[in-house]
Amino acid sequence: MAFIELRGLTKRFGSHTAIQDITLDIAEREFVTFLGPSGCGKTTTLRLIAGFMAPDQGTIHVAGRALSAPSDVVPPEQRRMGMVFQNYAIWPHMTVFGNIAFGLRLARLPKREIASRVARIVAAVGLEGLEDRHAAQLSGGQQQRIALARSLVLEPSILMLDEPLSNLDAKLRERLRDEIKALQRRTGITFIYVTHDQAEAMALSDRIAVFDRGRIEQVGMPRDIYDQPVNLFIADFMGQVNRLPGRVVEQSAGLARVDVAGHVFRAVPSPGLASGAVTATVAIRPEAIRIGPAAPHDEANQFEGTVTQATFLGNAMDYSVDIGGAILRVQGGPQDAHAAGDRAWLTIPVRRCAAMPDAN
Amino acid sequence: MLGTAVGLLLLLVAYPLLWLLLGALGLPDSFGFDTFTRAYARPQNLWPLANTVILAVGSGLLSVIFGVPLAWATARSDMPLRRVVRACVALAYITPPYLTALAYIILLGPDAGYLNRLLRTVIDVRSGPFDIFSMGGIVFVIGLHVFAYAFFLTDAALRSVDASLEEAAQLAGATRWDLIRRINLPLVAPAITGGALLAAVDSMALFGPQAILGIPGQVAFLPTRIYGVLGGYPPRWGEASALSLMLVVLTCAGLLLQRGYLERRSYITIGGRGVRVQLLALGGWKYPLLAFCLAVVLLAAIAPVGVLVMAAFSQSWIEPFAVLTLANFQSALFDDQVAVRGIVNSVRLATAAALAAMMLGTAVAYIDLRTRIRGRRLLDYLTILPLGLPGTVMAVGVLQAFIRPPFAIYGTIWILLAAYVARFVPLATRGANGALRQIDPSLEEAARITGASWLGAVWLILLPLARPGLLVAFLLVFIPAFSELSATILLYTGGTEPIAVAIFRLPDLGRRAVVAALAVFTIAVVMGVSLLLTWVSGRTGARQVP
Repeated sequence: MAFIELRGLTKRFGSHTAIQDITLDIAEREFVTFLGPSGCGKTTTLRLIAGFMAPDQGTIHVAGRALSAPSDVVPPEQRRMGMVFQNYAIWPHMTVFGNIAFGLRLARLPKREIASRVARIVAAVGLEGLEDRHAAQLSGGQQQRIALARSLVLEPSILMLDEPLSNLDAKLRERLRDEIKALQRRTGITFIYVTHDQAEAMALSDRIAVFDRGRIEQVGMPRDIYDQPVNLFIADFMGQVNRLPGRVVEQSAGLARVDVAGHVFRAVPSPGLASGAVTATVAIRPEAIRIGPAAPHDEANQFEGTVTQATFLGNAMDYSVDIGGAILRVQGGPQDAHAAGDRAWLTIPVRRCAAMPDAN
Repeated sequence: MLGTAVGLLLLLVAYPLLWLLLGALGLPDSFGFDTFTRAYARPQNLWPLANTVILAVGSGLLSVIFGVPLAWATARSDMPLRRVVRACVALAYITPPYLTALAYIILLGPDAGYLNRLLRTVIDVRSGPFDIFSMGGIVFVIGLHVFAYAFFLTDAALRSVDASLEEAAQLAGATRWDLIRRINLPLVAPAITGGALLAAVDSMALFGPQAILGIPGQVAFLPTRIYGVLGGYPPRWGEASALSLMLVVLTCAGLLLQRGYLERRSYITIGGRGVRVQLLALGGWKYPLLAFCLAVVLLAAIAPVGVLVMAAFSQSWIEPFAVLTLANFQSALFDDQVAVRGIVNSVRLATAAALAAMMLGTAVAYIDLRTRIRGRRLLDYLTILPLGLPGTVMAVGVLQAFIRPPFAIYGTIWILLAAYVARFVPLATRGANGALRQIDPSLEEAARITGASWLGAVWLILLPLARPGLLVAFLLVFIPAFSELSATILLYTGGTEPIAVAIFRLPDLGRRAVVAALAVFTIAVVMGVSLLLTWVSGRTGARQVP
């Protein structure tokens, strides 16, 4: 039995269905990210887990204990969970110490224990010397740490983070991202992290659940989701991708041949592609394509084309290559660059080409 | 807890309004439209109706004549003393209008009025020349109060016209006069109309001046007629309810028209962000315009308040400054039984009403902003409704609801409290709504997830953060409740009379100088609390709550 079990969760707001039939298992000490565009239902799912709302259908169990069902919801204060809000939700009428000690005081712990536990957590998140400051006067990064400390001081079994980095500038975001990851390893708390930033999700997570329009579309390790997205939406969402719509010429268990403007691509059919599909879209990541002056001898899709655009990006080259009827984006190394107008050979390993059902 | 608040609100607002309707249908004695038709078959009732409409139209027009030039001069021109003029308009607005009426009896009473006596030294007439106890006099006095609506609405609109609109016209060759006539005025025309309608609607509800000037002058309006109908024996409930409903219809028509004007024809979105205002150089027109503005505020604020202060410190009502004395304050604040009781009652009532309305308003705002309870829109509407109802109308409903079991509280001070809470809960709700809206719900959610119960989150997080805003809500109710007259006059009984009733009744008892002292005291309290309100709301506006 998994630590956290979400079973068939559905939540509607009026006529709008925010999430539908969400089922997911999360193991103890796991770092799971809910990833998806805004309005996809990831935050609603998080708020259901926190107990801020009752589901319309479905149940939530944690460690075997029923926490949420349509008729019966254990209130948030009795769930032993922590949450870091997108805007941090630091109470502006309290000091840093007051914010962090809030939950301990409610639990009526002795003063000395409160002081020592707050001191420990303040040191752990690097807020020493700021205890008596009023929380609202601090910077975004500091408020973020207060929010983390406020939750962690209560030693929750689960910590939820709702887009905790989205209000920070890029440099700080990267540093705090590493800190959050280290914190999770150190504390062994189960983290549920919500974000719309796929890079953040891949850097942090043990597993990612990709949300779209109220449903979970795919669950897996970051690498699997990046390399083997089950549909074009996820392929697109996880990073740049070439989408080449074509006609299915032949399809067997492990291989599909797709005709794209006269070029036949050998590709791996994605699990979502129906066995008798007539059309399919071939999805290829730009960095999966090797660009070279001549065709190497190798079992791969190979096409010759003309470079129509070459852009120097510092650590990489970005090309557009016209293979006749289709233009592919290709990422190459900054050395041995090709110029616009050059003829070049493209080599794409079959396993890096996915034949997917067309986007609807 | 929220349930109790909803129940109280239904009891205080919906239940009296229900009785207003039932009363007009003849209940509890009969049932049907007879009462209604009989009420409007009487000529004694048709004249007040006609007079009320004349009063509304007259006051609306007067509000434009007074309000618009003042608004333009203070908002967009380089006229001197702009701040003084604005402050005087605010003073005219917060001075309870029955005190203005009282002051004008001293100033323009046909025989003893200061100004009339002054004029009679030049003109040879036996009485007058002005008679404040007339339709013209009443429209004038009420207009001097309600023109503030036209002023404030026009002022806000003018301040949101960006200077670029005027500069573009100037580049196209427009003169200063063109700017006013073809750019400024058309842009703010909806605000002017809206302000005039608001002024007209409010003028119909002002029982105080209608009674103080109209009863001696035998000019009846709907509120004073209702007062008369209920004052007779036996009181004719049905007729009073039927007349009240007509007043409601007139009021609603005005308010709907006003909303329509402001919404459909608004060219300006009042965001207040980044608007650059260009002040027009008046040149030679500076002094004529200033003279007009000063004349208006002199009539609306300085003269009435001034004459009350003079009378309060003078031994004789007729001869100001002949003998200066503090005796009037001595009797108003300490000796005169009616006056002292009035002050005590008003302080207690206004405090209790403000507290109760603030709590109810907070509950309604909470339900509106933090829950998804079905019917919360309806609740919202119920708390806005009394804002559009004249105090007299509210009182007719409250009276019928609370004179009989199961809630028989007529004859006690509680019925006044009920009426004040019902009348002013919209102000508190608006204030509380503003306060709660500034506080992100995640602050309470963070408290819940860190171990606080619902009550704990409200008590430890929401209320402390909302406190300055809730103080605003409290003061918003305290100010009008302290000097309320139009509902009170139908609901008070011997011993429960607040200040306004003391002021209204004492002249008949021949104690005018005491009245002046009491009036000055009331104005001082209202002004003081208003300044406190401005200060508090300024602070809450500046406070940043994420």
